[in-house]
Amino acid sequence: MGEAQKGLLSVIEKLKGSTEQEVRIVLLGLDNAGKTTLLKSLASEDVNTITPTQGFNIKSVASHGMKLNVWDIGGQRKIRPFWKKYLENTDLLIYVIDSADKKRFEETGLELSELIDEENLKGVPVLIFANKQDLVTASPASEIAEGLNLHTYRDRQWQIQACSAMSGEGVQDGMNWICNNIVNKKK
Amino acid sequence: MFGCIWQYVYTTFLRYWLKWLIRQATGTCELQRICSGYKPGASMTTRAEYSLKSSKSQVLRGSLDTNTENLEQCVDQIMRAKSIQPQKNPQFKGTLHTCLLQITGYSSLYTSVEDLRKVVFSSENPDHEAMLLKLWDHLMPGAKLESRITKQWGDIGFQGDDPKTDFRGMGLLGLINLVFFSENYTAEARQVLSHANHPEFGYSYAIVGINLTEMAYSLLRSGALKPHFYNTVQGRPELKHFHQLYCYLVYEFDKFWVSEKPESIMQFNQYREQFHEVVKTLLRSPDVSLKLDSNSN
Repeated sequence: MGEAQKGLLSVIEKLKGSTEQEVRIVLLGLDNAGKTTLLKSLASEDVNTITPTQGFNIKSVASHGMKLNVWDIGGQRKIRPFWKKYLENTDLLIYVIDSADKKRFEETGLELSELIDEENLKGVPVLIFANKQDLVTASPASEIAEGLNLHTYRDRQWQIQACSAMSGEGVQDGMNWICNNIVNKKK
Repeated sequence: MFGCIWQYVYTTFLRYWLKWLIRQATGTCELQRICSGYKPGASMTTRAEYSLKSSKSQVLRGSLDTNTENLEQCVDQIMRAKSIQPQKNPQFKGTLHTCLLQITGYSSLYTSVEDLRKVVFSSENPDHEAMLLKLWDHLMPGAKLESRITKQWGDIGFQGDDPKTDFRGMGLLGLINLVFFSENYTAEARQVLSHANHPEFGYSYAIVGINLTEMAYSLLRSGALKPHFYNTVQGRPELKHFHQLYCYLVYEFDKFWVSEKPESIMQFNQYREQFHEVVKTLLRSPDVSLKLDSNSN
């Protein structure tokens, strides 16, 4: 047996054989939440020279006749009105939160609840990454879940995962959850 | 496949035989021919660099890692190793010295740039804070900052109400470049800012600037900027030359963006890539010299 695949390849490996040929994942969250770092870490790219995202980044991985597209869309307030344009046909939403930025927990919660109400995201599973757990000031994932009222989400699969996109810790656990939940939905 | 074999045979055998033959016929070594046969700048220095790098002699290869103080001595050693007579070749010493200053200067420029990039912007550092305020004053002479944390930062294209999180992977280097442009090319910087603040075709001035610092940085790291610096700096390139190159990128990117009129800011990365290709193509020309010229429109 070879080494288990990591990151985006692990998702595609797990999903092969399911009916859909193309899977679309959208990464959202406030500016400086760590979306691009997460995307680069999933694609095994350098995370040390990242700059703020103007517009969006996209990573595509193709394997076993399948294509996985991950859209990382800038989080600054000015471009949040554009988020809606990228939600159609989304199979899964990853919402990233800077766990150390307590001052903006309310703002990020509002943005998330607006997304949850979007018609295009109806029933779409959502994975919330409580990112930057490597910082000492980070709040634990359980606390963030409570603040976001995640327990009230009854119309979809959801999960909150503590992680550090910088060190990679917790990221693969999130990917494993994604595999299981997209598979379940498609079958 | 065939190309690879040919490349291998050429670099390991043929190149040396050819060089030996020419040396017998002309009585000059490859370095001498380069230093007298090509015009100073990228044509000459790039060839000298390749010749030194692929040399079998430790003295010649070692010259590429020599620091500035020992460079003259190093040139003397090369001349002895290659039996080049100073009397018969009066120009050679100075020419090779300049080439080596350019070659070793490029590596040390990268080290300096990398050091600045690794410095994280800190609100506790008064120098960093002063630089940030200076940027505001140069770009917005008529407007006073109401406080250090304010939505006004959005007017010069930062994302939120505190710019400190926007420097990220470019660290202090991103801020120094922004300040350098607004300080040394104030009129041009304000003109670019006014385009960036256009309600329809605008973009975020500061974060696009930080993004272009990343472009300049990665071009430097890959070696793509060598011909530009070899042509424009007659010696060791300094940090200010790197900042000037950044100014060129910002000014030209803005021109490109304005002329292309993209549908929205969401198209940024697509146009950035096109612009990146344009710059890389320019840098492949041996005569390249990327200078901000605001009178060329």
